Amino acid sequence: MTRLSIEALEKRFDAVRAIAGIDMEVAQGEFVALLGPSGCGKTTTLRCIAGFESPSAGTICFDGDDVTGLPPEKRDIGMVFQNYALFPHMTVNGNLAFGLEMRDIAAGEVQRRIAEVLGLVQLDGLGERYPRQLSGGQQQRVALARALVIHPKLLLLDEPLANLDAKLRDEMRFFIRGLQKRIGITAIYVTHDQAEAMVMSDRIVVMFDGIIHQLGTAEDVYDRPATRAVASFIGLSNFFEGTFSGQVGVHYGLDTALGRIGCGAGFALTPGQKATAMIRPEAIGLASAVPNGAAAFQGTVAERYFLGNLADYRIKMADGSVLQVQQPATASFAPGAVVHVILPADRAWLVRERAP
Amino acid sequence: MSERPARPTKLPLGLLLALPVLVTVGALIVVPYVNIVIMSFRTPSTTRPYAPGFTIDNYARALTDSFYLELLGDTVRLAVMITALCLVIAYPAAYHLARTTSRWRGVLYALVLSPLLVGVVIRSFGWIILLANNGLINQMLRALELPALPLMYNEFGVVLALVHVFLPFMVLPLMGAIQGIDPRLEEAARSLGASRTKVFRRVVLPLSMPGVQSGCILVFVLSCGAYVTPALLGAGRVHTLTTEVVTMLDQFLWPRGAALALILASAGLIAVWLWAHFSGRTMRGLA
Ligand SMILES: Nc1ncnc2c1ncn2[C@@H]1O[C@H](COP(=O)(O)OP(=O)(O)OP(=O)(O)O)[C@@H](O)[C@H]1O
Ligand SMILES: [Mg+2]
Repeated sequence: MTRLSIEALEKRFDAVRAIAGIDMEVAQGEFVALLGPSGCGKTTTLRCIAGFESPSAGTICFDGDDVTGLPPEKRDIGMVFQNYALFPHMTVNGNLAFGLEMRDIAAGEVQRRIAEVLGLVQLDGLGERYPRQLSGGQQQRVALARALVIHPKLLLLDEPLANLDAKLRDEMRFFIRGLQKRIGITAIYVTHDQAEAMVMSDRIVVMFDGIIHQLGTAEDVYDRPATRAVASFIGLSNFFEGTFSGQVGVHYGLDTALGRIGCGAGFALTPGQKATAMIRPEAIGLASAVPNGAAAFQGTVAERYFLGNLADYRIKMADGSVLQVQQPATASFAPGAVVHVILPADRAWLVRERAP
Repeated sequence: MSERPARPTKLPLGLLLALPVLVTVGALIVVPYVNIVIMSFRTPSTTRPYAPGFTIDNYARALTDSFYLELLGDTVRLAVMITALCLVIAYPAAYHLARTTSRWRGVLYALVLSPLLVGVVIRSFGWIILLANNGLINQMLRALELPALPLMYNEFGVVLALVHVFLPFMVLPLMGAIQGIDPRLEEAARSLGASRTKVFRRVVLPLSMPGVQSGCILVFVLSCGAYVTPALLGAGRVHTLTTEVVTMLDQFLWPRGAALALILASAGLIAVWLWAHFSGRTMRGLA
């Protein structure tokens, strides 16, 4: 149970700035995912926390103790690698005992802890096998067990599920999350899979180009993305560019090519300022008649795709723009039909063009 | 009607292709070896290669005479020493070469191979220029009014020169083995609390054991059979079985020389087998 604080963390590789000014606080027992496209600096951040990279600037604290200068072996971390990195010349028991032997734990206690952790990851009876005699999923769980058996302060995972097939990956998400909750360990989880990050974590750190764009819950990043990049990376979005016209109650008015739309915002604007709003395809309403009260814009159904539970529409608007709209497949609008598009103000959200 | 070309039969063609190899191997390896074995059982003569008749006296003499046994012991001792020194010196270099991403890697690699780029005689004379009693190093020492050191005509010079030239044979297999070890394994070990020394002892060394094994076998065998360097740098004052074999050939005692050579070869083989056996066991033990 450790609190992790990272302040102004920066890492340069010669000319390349892999991460630039990372700030984050992770609470005790929290599960935080580092999410972002390839090359955004997730692994570098994790390796700085582990101590494999020494930061060019910034500090890392475990429970308030500065560990920035400590080598990895002094940090008391459990790490799970994408390729598992199990010691091929040791049995499962040997792999699990390794970290305990480094801590000079008595043989009897080592046996007890190994038995306990093998039970936790449901691998009882496989202790005498060598890693090459295990399936990918089993190796994955040995790697997890090896990291947990030392009772580390922090559990660090770098895309641990990337090498598994889709079905197993799905199972392991819940397995890892369940285990982490049960033990109550603080965990940092690197992934570029948004679904994985949303399902597993308490909070998500969304990174682009070495910078944090947003740090929030799955709901935060999905419903209230901080930047256009976050909105595009996670889920599907429609964007509207326009000019801020002033606040109406809790909503912000934005004059777009379609007309005025209302939306929410996480930051202050001055009237006349250029701004971008986003709305998710499933948040948009479609109606055949002009709805009462709500602002509606007329459009034409250009395309319709059947997705099983949903119908996916492309709606051509008066200004020539095309909106993506998803509706339950029960209500159906045929291509060519004229529809009224409802953009609910409490589902539209202003996004920044760059990280704050 | 068009005629089909006669299909050549498969076997003669395959045999034809293999023929050059078979002839070369037969002429250059099998025949000389068989010849040496036969020679080792002939009766020696001081005036011609051998006298008529066969005997096991050549072996009996070599294996009962303490002079030859000591010589065999010295040869093996020197070879073990050279192998151990090569291993200790080569390991860090091999590790560095295997892991570095520096753009000087190519230069380092060439440097490691450089001892092989010069022929053995020229290389030995190079060492003589450096190590002789009035060689470069001792001239410098005298210029600094320091006592001169016996660097040549002794085991020191021979070992030094042989370690130098055999280093590549140790570095290359070690490097190959270390390159095959995933660097993530070292990181995993460190994350589990292992210091650099522990990582080396528990992960890198055991996993590089195949490279250690083959490197040691190569250097050991080469050291046992080395002749030119011990002869030139030892200048008659360092005796090994190989120098003794050559002495016998000079004295026209070919059968005795052949027996000695085969004894050395067998001793070498036994040593290699023992080493492979026990290093394989430690490999498992270290894990
Ligand atoms: N050892 C290194 N030397 C030079 N540049 C590096 C090094 N490690 C990472 N980088 C660079 O730093 C940036 C961030 O890399 P990082 O591995 O952290 O990305 P990532 O988010 O983990 O990506 P991925 O999802 O592909 O694993 C990249 O531009 C990468 O090329
Ligand atoms: Mg990565």
